[in-house]
Amino acid sequence: MKAYLAIAVPERAPRARILAALCAMLPRVGVADDGSFVCDLRGTERLLGTPLRVARNAISACGASSGQLLAGGLGTTPFVARIAATRTAVGKVNEIPAGGERAFLDVLPLDVLPLDPKVIEELALLGVRRIGEFLALPRGSVTDRFGHAAAIAYALATGELVEDVRGVAPRRRIRAKRTWDDPVDSRERLIFALRAAADELAEALRHDGLAALRLRLVLEREELLPLRLERSLLPPSAQSAAIVRSLRWGLEELATLGLVTSAVLEITAVEPARGRQIGLFAPDGAHAEEAISVAQFLRTRLGASTVLQARVVDADPRLPERAAEWEEVVR
Amino acid sequence: MAQAKTALADAIAHVEGRFGTHVLSHGAIAERRAGERRIQTGSSLDTLTPGLASGAPLALVGSGSTGKVTLAHRAAAGAQRDGGSVLWIDPSATFDPLSAERSGVDLSRLIVVRARTRDDVLLAAAAALRSDGFRLAVVDTGPQVAPSTVTRIDDLAPLLPIVRSSPAALLVISDTRAMRLAIPTFSVARVAWSERFGRTTGWTSLVAERALFLFASLGAESHDLGTRGALLERTG
Repeated sequence: MKAYLAIAVPERAPRARILAALCAMLPRVGVADDGSFVCDLRGTERLLGTPLRVARNAISACGASSGQLLAGGLGTTPFVARIAATRTAVGKVNEIPAGGERAFLDVLPLDVLPLDPKVIEELALLGVRRIGEFLALPRGSVTDRFGHAAAIAYALATGELVEDVRGVAPRRRIRAKRTWDDPVDSRERLIFALRAAADELAEALRHDGLAALRLRLVLEREELLPLRLERSLLPPSAQSAAIVRSLRWGLEELATLGLVTSAVLEITAVEPARGRQIGLFAPDGAHAEEAISVAQFLRTRLGASTVLQARVVDADPRLPERAAEWEEVVR
Repeated sequence: MAQAKTALADAIAHVEGRFGTHVLSHGAIAERRAGERRIQTGSSLDTLTPGLASGAPLALVGSGSTGKVTLAHRAAAGAQRDGGSVLWIDPSATFDPLSAERSGVDLSRLIVVRARTRDDVLLAAAAALRSDGFRLAVVDTGPQVAPSTVTRIDDLAPLLPIVRSSPAALLVISDTRAMRLAIPTFSVARVAWSERFGRTTGWTSLVAERALFLFASLGAESHDLGTRGALLERTG
């Protein structure tokens, strides 16, 4: 049986906590365009009970974790569930039974549909102010007169178009900490010691199918203030070597390191890992992306017209200098 | 299990911290790596010891116009053969793309860095050696014609500990031998001129006193004549 639970989230509610509570309880939790959470309850009945019971439990779990009462809506499509959630009191679940969607939607104003305000105004001039009146119009006329967006709104209201619930994972802290009894005083020793931490982070990233975009290193030092280093990884990578290299370049820019007693390495921004094209059986050193990354670094440090690539344009030139053209590897 | 993994990772970090990043590898892949480490140029250079290999430095030393750069082009082409990239550090801006291409270098996988100072040369070479992006880093110190030369082979001493822990090889081209630096060196010396109809058409150079190469003065091409021992065997 199709059943969706939507939870309307007020603006200042702790969204991360609510998402974590829902993810801990339900198999598929997504975020709708309007910011509310939508849970696909298909297949949960035998394990967790009726949708209404699941919804009530979810509302109470979210309330416990966020400290705020929330409103829920149950429907046979995510759209109906979302609208139901916005039209009930906090702490309650508004259930729209199967077959009762039209009766629920028909009396609602048009602005609950994803329609352009100009279209709503135009429809109002035609005397169409409620969803029921809108759905009474012929489908072809709606598409012809108001365009594709109106046709989508029409299909959503009739239940012909079911929004996809794309699962989202709650943000997870990906961090590793290392503490040393003997303070680390050299850059090379610190980098080598951080390799194990980078391996740990890379493993966590690979597990979640993510690539690191930004990372933060915080070094606790003897008799000195903690040192905070923020780095961007371009292109984003889940590889330990890329993390270590970025840290190395960051650390090389520091004049003094001091005596480091502990280090916390954390990935602060991630993005979904993308596949990258490499040659089959490529050996070490065949990573073109790494080469471009080095070229970017050198371009930044050495300035323009220093990191170049040549192209032969005339294999038999009259003047030797006309044989090749040079261009910047990174602009 | 997680604690054991962390302890193992710490132990690996400790060993690598002491001896370099690539000293440890899984047993199953260590043997395969040993073969991958060598850069095959497909010439008699491969038979010379020590050859060009990942994590190893090598210097080609000889006076001007003996064929050092052409041999380095061959090495670069060999490094690119398996899909690797090459960084060519060229402080004297003397890199010739046409002769490189004629030697088999794929210019689309060769990055030339015109570092202007000694520090820039060291920075570029260190960045290449520390990354996983290159199989070979070449430092061409250029013709040593004036006392204000940007880089001398002895100035590259800071790169030696870096290359030992690198997946890339370091090839240095220099007119003069290292005075204070212990770096494996192939000397390149001209042993004969080739003439045709009374005009010089090329020369023969002896590399590391064993391998002979014939260089054409026009076209920047090189022909591998084999090792001196093999030549003596053939000629009786």
